[in-house]
Amino acid sequence: MATKKSFLLLAVILLIATVLGACGGNKNSNSNSSSTPAAESSAPASNSAESSGETGASGGIDTSEEVKLKMIFVGPKPVDYDSVFGEINKKLKEQINATIEGEFLDWSDWAQKYPLKLAANENFDLIYSANWAGYNDQALKGGFLELTEDMLSKYMPKTWEAMPKVSWDQAKVNGKLYMVPQNRGESVEKLILYREDLRKKYNLPAIDSPEAYANYLKTIAQNEKGVIPFTPETGDWKYHNLDRVLLKQENEWNMFDLDMPFAFKLSDPKGQVFNVFETQEFKDLANYYKDLASNNGWSKNALNSKNDHQQDFKQGKTASITHNNGTLGALMALMRQENSPYEVALADINPDKAKSVAISTQNGTSVHATSKYPERALMFIDLMQNDKELHDLIMYGIEGVHYEKSGEDKYIATDKNPNYTGFSNWSFNSPLNRDNVDFPQEASDLVKKWEEQVYHYPLETFVFDNSKVKTEISNLGNVMLRYAIPLEYGVVKDVDAGLAELNKQLKAAGLEKVQQELQSQIDAFLAAQ
Amino acid sequence: MRLHKFLYDVKRYRTILLMLAPAVAFFLLFAYVPMAGIVIAFKHYDYAGGIFGSAWNGLANFRFFFESGDAWTVTRNTALYNIAFIAVNNFLQIFAAILLFEIGGKWFRKLTQSILFLPYFISWVVVGAIAYNLLNYDIGTVNALLRGLGLEPVDIYNTPSYWPFILVAVSAWKTLGYGTVMYLAAIAGIDTEMYEAAEIDGANIFQRIMKITLPNLYPTLIILVLLAVGNIFRGDFGMFYNMVGNNGILFSSTDVIDTFVFRSLITSNDIGMSAAAGVFQSVLGFATIMSVNYAVRKYDKDRALF
Repeated sequence: MATKKSFLLLAVILLIATVLGACGGNKNSNSNSSSTPAAESSAPASNSAESSGETGASGGIDTSEEVKLKMIFVGPKPVDYDSVFGEINKKLKEQINATIEGEFLDWSDWAQKYPLKLAANENFDLIYSANWAGYNDQALKGGFLELTEDMLSKYMPKTWEAMPKVSWDQAKVNGKLYMVPQNRGESVEKLILYREDLRKKYNLPAIDSPEAYANYLKTIAQNEKGVIPFTPETGDWKYHNLDRVLLKQENEWNMFDLDMPFAFKLSDPKGQVFNVFETQEFKDLANYYKDLASNNGWSKNALNSKNDHQQDFKQGKTASITHNNGTLGALMALMRQENSPYEVALADINPDKAKSVAISTQNGTSVHATSKYPERALMFIDLMQNDKELHDLIMYGIEGVHYEKSGEDKYIATDKNPNYTGFSNWSFNSPLNRDNVDFPQEASDLVKKWEEQVYHYPLETFVFDNSKVKTEISNLGNVMLRYAIPLEYGVVKDVDAGLAELNKQLKAAGLEKVQQELQSQIDAFLAAQ
Repeated sequence: MRLHKFLYDVKRYRTILLMLAPAVAFFLLFAYVPMAGIVIAFKHYDYAGGIFGSAWNGLANFRFFFESGDAWTVTRNTALYNIAFIAVNNFLQIFAAILLFEIGGKWFRKLTQSILFLPYFISWVVVGAIAYNLLNYDIGTVNALLRGLGLEPVDIYNTPSYWPFILVAVSAWKTLGYGTVMYLAAIAGIDTEMYEAAEIDGANIFQRIMKITLPNLYPTLIILVLLAVGNIFRGDFGMFYNMVGNNGILFSSTDVIDTFVFRSLITSNDIGMSAAAGVFQSVLGFATIMSVNYAVRKYDKDRALF
């Protein structure tokens, strides 16, 4: 009897221990985050008071106290972090009596960790920020320090001079600035990379229209066994890459941060917003996708596939992928360097349509709201963007190890180059950037062509404050993921029924309320200009 | 007098109390203290205010869940899936435990037990990838087999009706070894004299299982089920997300509260709203475990958890 009881007890204890171990793990991180903000909540107030007092008192900047800055980057920690940052710190120490320490949030879980770093009010001074990393949202929640013109002109004079005014404006949330944006336009328009050798093999016409592209995909599907015509990017959901080409570029629309079911025409001076999914254009596109999906243009289970589309393309498993110019150009350069047996080319399937450059918040650096050394942090950003030596170091690593200089504005990647790359140093992009000499000429040419066609529109600097309609936004996002994405991969049996269901669900989720709020903010924004 | 007795008890049982202390500390620190954090479900969270300093906003955080129109469906899905998991998994675990116990050969038993246990350690991400390679339409093993046999392939990832079965099967496969060990321990604790007596009385193996093993497993089963029932409104996010991902076609039969909340809040990262969903699940779980425990106590007082 005694043994029976003890065995049972043991079993139960084992179970409870695992169950609670699991719960405990979660709760643990909660309790961490709970204690810190309470303890440090008084810091921001006293801190900003101190800094403004200093600004008023003296003109010169006092850097006699040695300061250790900490910056949070996204992306994995580079292998040669120690040597490169060691070099950077030597220079920083001389110039502003400060050193920098990087903390890296790996790609696999940065999206969870990034907001937590801010919510938990951890101790750091600078953080990489970007529109795609929730810049507006985090700024409205109070994660970043507001940067005033006084601070900018005083602590980062070079940047203040070099940065175009429109870049600052684009980074403003409700009229306040929380970020030092990158100082180099970057094209984020998506385009298509495909197999030129296969196009030639089947004597297909040049891929310069959506129809020609569909034709290419269908021909591959019929004739090339073992090659999947198109592979989407894993985790690319609301308005996927092809949508950006075939919906956004093709119709010259823009969608707010690609997060809501609304768009406006670039040419519309009134900025009238409309429901994307009720338009004829979207219906046509859904039918276009459906046609491709039924003709095996992509895997039937593309929604669940976790294949890396760039790897698949490189290995010849797929015949086309979509991404932005920089990424595709780099992939082409790599394939050519490695003497890939495949001939590849870029396709811009709507060459005459208006293209836009990324707004400046595509990459930026923000100062943490509770940083103890905001002045030094700003001086650090100033140097990173505008000091040639430090800029080269942070962007490309150590000369002779990670890269070789080639003239004033180009670099040659050495075989050690991968040891210092892949994390978000992009916020320091500036006119001092060097280009990879191997970057394909046609990709650079496209960028130049697009830059000539760049279209500026009145709503370029508009930022939506969603605080009044958060509930509805959450539900709309959910509906888009659930009902729109299947349409956008052509896996719905009946497009019309799918569209009707999607719109019904969007209405139920509060589409009209958000649309009204959005429109009224846009009207107010345009009226103020 | 009371105090005196208390102090006396403390002194008398000091060794046992000392052994209990780490567990008590653990629960206080990681289960009871964090409960204060529940307040953020009722607050408009901002970084400067933190958990306790942010402004109250009543029940606004709960609105997104109940106004979505999916609240009932995902809550029902979550509960039904968990009930299916509890029933199927426990049945298979008991079955496997009895088989392993009856099979002689210590070496064979240990080996089988270890192999059954292996899937428990495989992360859901890996299981999701394995499942994709088994089940996908173009190159999946299942469909390759069907094609090889001259049959029509099935498009599993676009057909919601298969998924309840797939998910239950995967859950059973993954937890089988773990639960089996639990029940094996319980069987090993059964007094062997009972079996000897039964054998002398001429009971065959089935009679021994039905009349001795199963009744003796009953208390373990009740405890395990009661503990599982408390989590009946929590979907296993790792499982559902990695198996189904963002495939909207399947959501009608696979969406649970946790995946729903994740999808709704992934872009807004609103701590208050996700906490609200957690509170909702906890309240439902609490209500369920209280009523089930009450029912068990009515039926058999000794078997109840508390």
